[in-house]
Amino acid sequence: MLIVPCPNCGPRNASDLRYVGESRPRPDPNASSPKEWRAYLYERANPAGRLRETWYCRSGCRRYFALERDTVTNEFTNSPLPVGKMGKRP
Amino acid sequence: MADIPTFESTVPAPYVSYAGVPMESGRPDSPLTLRDVSSVTKSIVRAGPETKACHRLSTPFGAARTEDGVLIIGQRPDEWVLTGHGSAIRALTESLDRSGHISIIDGTHNSAIFRLTGAGAASVLEKLCSLDWRDLMTPDGAAVSGSVAHVTCDIVRNDQDITPSYLISCDRSYGQYLFAVILDAGHEFGISPLDMLA
Amino acid sequence: MTRLPPRPGEIIGRTRSVDFSWNGRRVSGFEGDTIASALTAAGVRVVSRSMKYRRPRGYMTNDYWDPNALVQVGDEPNVRSAHRLIEPGMAVEAQNVWPSLERDLRAVTGPASRFLTPGFYYKTFMRPRWLWPTYEKVLATFSPGGRIDLDTPHRYHDKRYIHPDVVVAGGGPAGMAAAIAGAEAGARVLLVEHFHRLGGHLLWGDDSDRALAGELVAEVADAGVEVLTDSTVTGRYEDNWIAIAQRNHPVAVERLIKARAKVLVVAPGLIERPYVFAGNDKPGVMLSGAVRRFVNLYGVRPGAAAVVFTANPEGDAAAADLERAEADVTVLDARRGENIVRALGRGKSIKAVEVADGRRLECDLLVTATGWTAPTSLLNMSGDRPVYDEVATRFFPSAPIGNVLVAGGLAGDGTHEQLIEHARTTGRLAAARARSVAYSLQAATARAKAVSGSQPGWPTDTRRSLPRHPHPPLFRSATHGLVDFSEDVSSKDMLGAADEGYDSVELLKRYTTATMGPSQGKLETVNTVAVLAEALGRTIGEVGTTVWRPPYAPITMGGLGGPMYEPVRVSSIQPWHEANGAVFMLAGQWIRPDHYGDPSGEVLNTRRNVGIMDVTPLGKFDLRGPDVPKLLNHLYINKWMKLPVGSVRYGIMCTEEGVVLDDGVTARLGDHHYMMTTTSSGTASVWEWAENWLQTEFPDWQVHITPVTSGFTSINVAGPESRTLVRRLTMDVNLDPAAFKYMQVRTGTVAGVPDCFMWRIGFTGELSFEIHVPAGYGLHVWEALLEAGEDLRVRPFGVEGQRIMRLEKGHFIVGQDTDGLTKLPALGMAHLLKLDKHDFVGKPELLWALADTSAPVLVGIQPTDPSIVPDEAGQIVRPGTDEIIGRITSSRMSPTLGRSICLGQVLPEASKAGSELTVLMTDGRRITARVMAHHAHFDPEGERVRG
Repeated sequence: MLIVPCPNCGPRNASDLRYVGESRPRPDPNASSPKEWRAYLYERANPAGRLRETWYCRSGCRRYFALERDTVTNEFTNSPLPVGKMGKRP
Repeated sequence: MADIPTFESTVPAPYVSYAGVPMESGRPDSPLTLRDVSSVTKSIVRAGPETKACHRLSTPFGAARTEDGVLIIGQRPDEWVLTGHGSAIRALTESLDRSGHISIIDGTHNSAIFRLTGAGAASVLEKLCSLDWRDLMTPDGAAVSGSVAHVTCDIVRNDQDITPSYLISCDRSYGQYLFAVILDAGHEFGISPLDMLA
Repeated sequence: MTRLPPRPGEIIGRTRSVDFSWNGRRVSGFEGDTIASALTAAGVRVVSRSMKYRRPRGYMTNDYWDPNALVQVGDEPNVRSAHRLIEPGMAVEAQNVWPSLERDLRAVTGPASRFLTPGFYYKTFMRPRWLWPTYEKVLATFSPGGRIDLDTPHRYHDKRYIHPDVVVAGGGPAGMAAAIAGAEAGARVLLVEHFHRLGGHLLWGDDSDRALAGELVAEVADAGVEVLTDSTVTGRYEDNWIAIAQRNHPVAVERLIKARAKVLVVAPGLIERPYVFAGNDKPGVMLSGAVRRFVNLYGVRPGAAAVVFTANPEGDAAAADLERAEADVTVLDARRGENIVRALGRGKSIKAVEVADGRRLECDLLVTATGWTAPTSLLNMSGDRPVYDEVATRFFPSAPIGNVLVAGGLAGDGTHEQLIEHARTTGRLAAARARSVAYSLQAATARAKAVSGSQPGWPTDTRRSLPRHPHPPLFRSATHGLVDFSEDVSSKDMLGAADEGYDSVELLKRYTTATMGPSQGKLETVNTVAVLAEALGRTIGEVGTTVWRPPYAPITMGGLGGPMYEPVRVSSIQPWHEANGAVFMLAGQWIRPDHYGDPSGEVLNTRRNVGIMDVTPLGKFDLRGPDVPKLLNHLYINKWMKLPVGSVRYGIMCTEEGVVLDDGVTARLGDHHYMMTTTSSGTASVWEWAENWLQTEFPDWQVHITPVTSGFTSINVAGPESRTLVRRLTMDVNLDPAAFKYMQVRTGTVAGVPDCFMWRIGFTGELSFEIHVPAGYGLHVWEALLEAGEDLRVRPFGVEGQRIMRLEKGHFIVGQDTDGLTKLPALGMAHLLKLDKHDFVGKPELLWALADTSAPVLVGIQPTDPSIVPDEAGQIVRPGTDEIIGRITSSRMSPTLGRSICLGQVLPEASKAGSELTVLMTDGRRITARVMAHHAHFDPEGERVRG
């Protein structure tokens, strides 16, 4: 089982967390075309390589955070960022 | 009008392990014991890092310490659980500066708390939870949250003198299940349930 | 008798005899005997029948991996009899034989066997399809495996999580040396050996081997290594998550240990490889290791006249062992070009061996020592792809990752001294790397002790590599024989499959099923590759090996399941429910009273008098902070900025897709204090969802969410007499209709319990007060209500009663009357939607959904025949056709109305009031029903709740 580096708790079993998905910004709900909005809902980059994704530390600190992971090697490649799935912030 | 109510334990005696084995109540000096201590007063304090209350509690996430009869637990980032006698809790919470984004709510009825005490306590936890219970990783005064037999629990290492002891806290509705499960896991180490402290 | 006189190194206790039974016959062995050694000592030679051809089989490798050794022990099937120790009274039987082991009528003799070539099943039983049930019955009798007893009592299985520095897989000399060196370097080491004791091949070696084993075992103990014997590392997963099956636990039948090792040392040794030739599966054909274990560990001579075909020192030693055991021994040495062609003889034993030079040697035991398979499973599981060495004629690890190290025969050859020195260096390297990992784990873990000093570096691997000894390439003789003994796959089958085009080893494996039986490639993988290489005219290295996957050794389903802890939740009123005849249901993890014997009566009593219900599982969240209205406004589709203190509002939540997620009421208890409720089943997900919005999208909003679902015991008091009842227990809340209106909330003391809150809502359609009591006093208030309301005929009602009443009122349940595609407009509640809000979850999709006139909508439905209750999920079809235009989502017999009532989703064309519907019943009948003007079948104006 993968170890996920929770920024608050430290290294935890992946089963202690919930994988939220690729981190992606939420488009403006009042100015989005159906195509743009549905790209946000359903389209994923799914790269073989570095991916910024959101995790929720369900059994631990109960915080959402973003991590960058290499989907080929499963290595986490940067320090955690305090913004998740719906985050508009960089 | 009915009588003045008494606080009800989540685990009414007689005690039965998860596997259905009846367990005799033990004596407090048994080598490995499990006791419902849920009636203790609990207070949940939420306060951001910039607040005066946060500095006053001065207990970082992952740590617990005792002050004037109150166990102050840094249970989550910006969140503390205070446990102890009602008067001591009140004294502390009333002294907290309320400025900034802070909230204090009574958590007494929200959770069940069990105290697991004895030299073999870590061996029992090791059967139920994937965290590392060795001294280096979970020393006395450590506060941690994790899944215990598939229930999310808050656990504080709170040794009694030199005897390892853990306060295991879960959502009250899981109390009966969790107590039975800990008895089941502790059966091979000779665990004894103790009656709830009034 | 073939039991030899006592000998040094044997591991049986001759003073303690153990009686057990074999196919009903009494057999006696000694303490420490395996079933195999005891049976062989008793002269038993045939222990099983092969899976496909039902050929008689005897012990071949005499260890855990023996493909012929599966037996039934009591109610336990598939016991590995060359590993399992005998116990007094144990009932051992041959499994899947018919009618008996000696005479299996399904046995296939030579000519017929061509009908069982690979693909036979796929090709033969395809057609005609109507014959399949017959085929299935016949084929089922051929399925391998023992008898499963459905009455087997549940036994205790266990689980354990540990965090050692180093796990060493394999307790032979290399594994022990690595463990000792690791522990001496300060690491916490777990040494796992799958045999019953440490020592590996030294155990059946000569005096100096055993002396060395003894020294190492003593050192292991001194070094403080934790040792697990009769246990197997079954898998290695991401980040060194190691699965260990512990079979010798004193309490549990089997224990699954999940170890998070900082470093894994793989030292399983080598597995002896069988030779492929005609008759290689006949009873009496054994590998050299099997003989050495029989003779040296158990004092059992497996044959009197032996031919030993040897290509290596282990084979030579087996010949010497047999000579010491006073057997007649003929040695054929592959290194001198000698070879065997076929084993002759039928039934219980071989009679002779045909040699390549034409000789025919009479014997009852043929021993082969033709080389080794490197069990690289754990390395495969770590991502390594082993490479073949033409000189040593076996596979070697290529480049294992840094926290997986290899020692012993898997790494190379050499003297004991060389292998042990290499292993000690490996152990030290493992300990040093573990120190580096441990430091970073400790430094990053919030609760851990503070680290001291700087992080130890990651030491480079400076081990000198071991030599590799040449070994003759011996895979198949001039004849064809079995490659996979478990699955009855021969070299001829494989050449045929290669001819059919299965020219990749992974394809060949799946088509022929070679390596897929109980021995899982331990014996047959390299021969499979070699035969395919031969067929394709390529080298073994070019063909490559199959990927080994977990588990390395079988683990029981019980072991995987562990103690089967399944959390359940109960309210504080549970003891009362149990004592008062509640019939329970499981709702998610909650144990809830479904009813108390008479759900219809409970409904009628609530409608006429007053009923109380334990609704504790209702999701409850304490919300605090100045920005709570902003959060509510965002999560719900309706407006929340102006909810007065003391009021309650109903709201619906939708997802970003516009799909209905949850519903419930939220009350404003104070300026910055709200209480939000969710459905019982939605509690956990709504909480995580709300936190997600708060933490990631609106981190500046000042809101604290605290789940308090079980902090309050919730009791719904419903019915015309509910106000009278509640008034008897409350002093400090004004319950007059004008002072405490429908959809309002009050706080106060109930039955002496302070800090309760109550609100007036109406899921049941009756005047009702939902009281929320601090949970430690919940049972007290419940009992007080029953006592105080006795003259009012108060009675409890359960989930079923509530479900009937809400259906009478036409209230939908999210997840029951909605599904994963149901968007808000389908519920007929578009009036709640406030699109003038700047933003809320799902706004764009809901805007577009309003324009969609094709989606099904929820309607009230009543069957024409009031006595028929259509099935929930029953299909609604266009009259006269099978075209589905909707479905029944809820249905019940209404005790209040005396007729059946439903909610259902239908296409808009059929949704108008008065439309006639056709509903399919499960028994095939079609009934008619009518669409109603309202969802509510009872009191559509809602006069009762507002009373």
